[in-house]
Amino acid sequence: MIKEQVSPEEVGRWMRLRYRLKIGWREPTAAIGLFLVLLFGYLIVVPIASLLFDSVQVQFGDVRRAKADLGELTWYYFDRALFSPVSKILFWEPLRHTLSVSFGAILVSLSVGGVLAWLLSRTDMFGRRWFATALIVPYMLPSWTFALAWRTLFKNRTVGGQAGWFENMGWTPPDWLAYGQLPITIILALHYTPFVILLFGNALRRFDSQLEDSARILGAGPRTVAWQIILPLMLPALMSATVLIFAKCLGEFGVSYVLGLPVNYDVLATSLYRSIASRQTGVAAVLAGAIMLIGIVSLLIDARLVRESRKFVTVGGKGSMNRQTALGKFRMPATALAGLIFFLSVGLPLMTLLLSTIMQVPGQFALSNFTLDYWIGSNLETVGLSSGILLSSELWSAMWNTLRIVGFASICSGIMGILVGYVVVRSPIKGVSIFLRQVTFFPYLVPGIAFAAAYLSLFAVERGPIPALYGTAAILILALMADQMPYASRAGISAMMQLGKDPEEAAQVAGAGWFRRMVTIVIPIQKGALVAGVLLPFISGIRGLSLFVILAIPSTDVLTTFSLRLLDYNYTQAANAVVLMISAIAYFGTLAAQRLTKTNLADGLGG
Amino acid sequence: MPNITLKHVNKSYDKNATNAVSDLNLEIGDGEFMCLLGPSGCGKTTTLRMIAGLENLTGGEIAVGDRVIDSIGKGVFVPPEQRGMGLVFQSYALWPHLTIEKNTDFGLRLRKVPKAEREERVNLVMKKLGIEQYRDRYPSQLSGGQQQRVALARMLAVNPEVLLLDEPLSNLDARLRLEMRTELKRIHGEFGTTIVFVTHDQWEAMTLATSIAVMHDGTLQQVGTPNDIYDRPANRFVAEFVGSPPINIIDQSPGNSRITDASRQYLKEYFPAISGADSLGLRPENIKLASQISDVPADHFAEEAFVAAILPTGGSWIIEVMVDDHKLFLTVNEPPQVSVGQQVWFHTSPAFMHLFDSDDQRLTAADDVIAEFCAAGESCAPSAAKAS
Repeated sequence: MIKEQVSPEEVGRWMRLRYRLKIGWREPTAAIGLFLVLLFGYLIVVPIASLLFDSVQVQFGDVRRAKADLGELTWYYFDRALFSPVSKILFWEPLRHTLSVSFGAILVSLSVGGVLAWLLSRTDMFGRRWFATALIVPYMLPSWTFALAWRTLFKNRTVGGQAGWFENMGWTPPDWLAYGQLPITIILALHYTPFVILLFGNALRRFDSQLEDSARILGAGPRTVAWQIILPLMLPALMSATVLIFAKCLGEFGVSYVLGLPVNYDVLATSLYRSIASRQTGVAAVLAGAIMLIGIVSLLIDARLVRESRKFVTVGGKGSMNRQTALGKFRMPATALAGLIFFLSVGLPLMTLLLSTIMQVPGQFALSNFTLDYWIGSNLETVGLSSGILLSSELWSAMWNTLRIVGFASICSGIMGILVGYVVVRSPIKGVSIFLRQVTFFPYLVPGIAFAAAYLSLFAVERGPIPALYGTAAILILALMADQMPYASRAGISAMMQLGKDPEEAAQVAGAGWFRRMVTIVIPIQKGALVAGVLLPFISGIRGLSLFVILAIPSTDVLTTFSLRLLDYNYTQAANAVVLMISAIAYFGTLAAQRLTKTNLADGLGG
Repeated sequence: MPNITLKHVNKSYDKNATNAVSDLNLEIGDGEFMCLLGPSGCGKTTTLRMIAGLENLTGGEIAVGDRVIDSIGKGVFVPPEQRGMGLVFQSYALWPHLTIEKNTDFGLRLRKVPKAEREERVNLVMKKLGIEQYRDRYPSQLSGGQQQRVALARMLAVNPEVLLLDEPLSNLDARLRLEMRTELKRIHGEFGTTIVFVTHDQWEAMTLATSIAVMHDGTLQQVGTPNDIYDRPANRFVAEFVGSPPINIIDQSPGNSRITDASRQYLKEYFPAISGADSLGLRPENIKLASQISDVPADHFAEEAFVAAILPTGGSWIIEVMVDDHKLFLTVNEPPQVSVGQQVWFHTSPAFMHLFDSDDQRLTAADDVIAEFCAAGESCAPSAAKAS
């Protein structure tokens, strides 16, 4: 041992700082971290701040009404949205509708999904493996696919254009069945049932049968076991599914737009859209803020529930067992039930859409009525498109836009995701990793439509060196990228966590510098995560609607907004055909992503 | 390679947290096989990582010979990739996307070694470690023991002057561990590398090391040869941490129990010159049993006890005896001649007594007194104690 008089106190503060700086700046990690902090600060924090400022500042054109100068602070918009006579139409009615639709959807999807989850994970129902995948399909498709199918079937004279199938068959569906609350609720329920199946099914599968057995041995009957053992342990999963579905319904735009508009059934998302469309920026900011607030609160509740449920998970011992219940004489009916749900949520809507695009007169099944004109015909004598959708140049320009915009944004967010993961795990400065982790997750709490409103608020006009971006593809790319960051960064962080420090440090000790380590060790190992980080945002971006509907203009039309516009013009066949194409891309894309990353959708659930 | 010197090294992860390593002074000589030994969380891995440069210092200095490689005071930090050391991780950290050959080759490539030389070196190392037949496989296709060899081969390939090993054997099963221990010892002899080895396993440390540094709560407790550590533990922590079953500690505060009083009485009678003993440690293998007091050598410390349990461990036996409420463990290598419940006399020669003061530090003064006493008498020789 050495004795030498250099006590640590003698080393000055300055020396300490110099040493730390030397280490911190030795590698680009700190610089990249700083860059990411600035980038996401600008792409995520600033737009939302700008939106919130919009709600308390007098906007252009409102000087007289707000009785204040442009840009001054005002409560006018809050007053108008929440307390004025029009507040009922702007906010309270839509809020009530949003709540009732959401809770209706939650109730239905919990009861249907709960039963299906149990059948799939704990019984000997026929074809469980097949159903396990098939029943998830609705979640891979855009939710308003179902809305279009519903409209194709149930449409009545309230809306112009081609007649619905039932009407053509001689029965006119009443408004309450064709539009508004009932169909929206049913469709959202069908769309989010897979959510329940996944979350609840996972919890059930992880549930240790020995817990049940112990209760049985102590003399508990099946009912006691169900109520006192299984249900309490399943409660966190149930609650979590509830909150997540609610948060998703909150930002749901497409379904309510397609089915609510004809009878003026507004939800918060469509009311926000109307406010933006009628240039009421201030009120739109208040509405977007309200949606954001509700979204954040509900997801905070979820985070808390997940933490609670983790307490339970640790209880499980090693010998976890999963036992199946024999259904006996109910085996056939149970399978039939699962089949029925699959038919209603996948088969029927897709069949309807497909048939609608190849029938001249809706709902007539005579062979002479079928045609491929709407797909590939030319010189058609219809009032709408004069050629089949596949021959329309607008489709291909929308397709190209979609691939260009969504593709570029996805590649960016995939790379950013890995970078964020790297910095979060490696950054020598704790604050940087905490900030990045939280800020990239933040868009998850903000429904897409509110986020789009925030972007509109920030980028509509020129600000400093940044030109006005509205109408360009750039704003869409930036918004999409920011919107996808929660998934991309979560994938990146977990991939980097899983990799751990060791392989990189091993290379470092072996003599490899930072760049070398990135190229030969980190990136090759993370190839899979990178592909997933690009592909998953791509799929969810392709079927996304709420961001585009606010930020896209005809020249930056993507497939979703294109189909929505076709629908507005009542070119039902064309709209349906485009939605079918989107569905196909989303479905096969998801399958490809699963194969490539060897994961199940259950893990990457979210987008 | 010159010595590695750690001077007043401090490390804390958090400003308010207690130090992970505090004021560590250690010198690791050329060609030494140094074991950092201690319970988990004692700072031994942190120390190793600081030597490698993967962990920054909070205070102090690390030097290799005259060259300072890490020092806050001098503002020096040589990054890990320029320190030219080898580190084998507990998790092995093999690169999953590279074959065994590529894994082994990596460091040589970085050093721009010519191809022919590289191949020769890789072949040599792989052959020495018996992994040449796996050269085209990926790490996931190998067993734990094989992976461990690859991790070692990867570092040995570049022939580092210092090889750092972070609990490399803890993920192996008992048999493999024994094999790898022999292997490591052989490699140390063959390559002449300085090895710093982190372990919490005292047997590993005892069997492998040329010297052991025992750490506890971030501070160095004792540095010495394995025999030093075992036979002359510097304090109570070292005495209790090294040895299995653990050393028996008999408290020396008066009136505590029969065995306390008896041992105090014994020390006072035979070694009046010793003062300040706070506790007495007796290693299990140094305690003998006799069925009658007349069989006990006159100058031994002895006390009546009864046999509470006999635990066979294969080649030897652990016997638990009780003196009233005080439990003592002893080990014997022949089938015990006593049975459970029997009244016996346990006894021990003063030559094997470890005395600690109220700060739990070894009373080295007592060692000298006892050694003098034993040199004069005959019965305190180890052979005499064994005879009973």
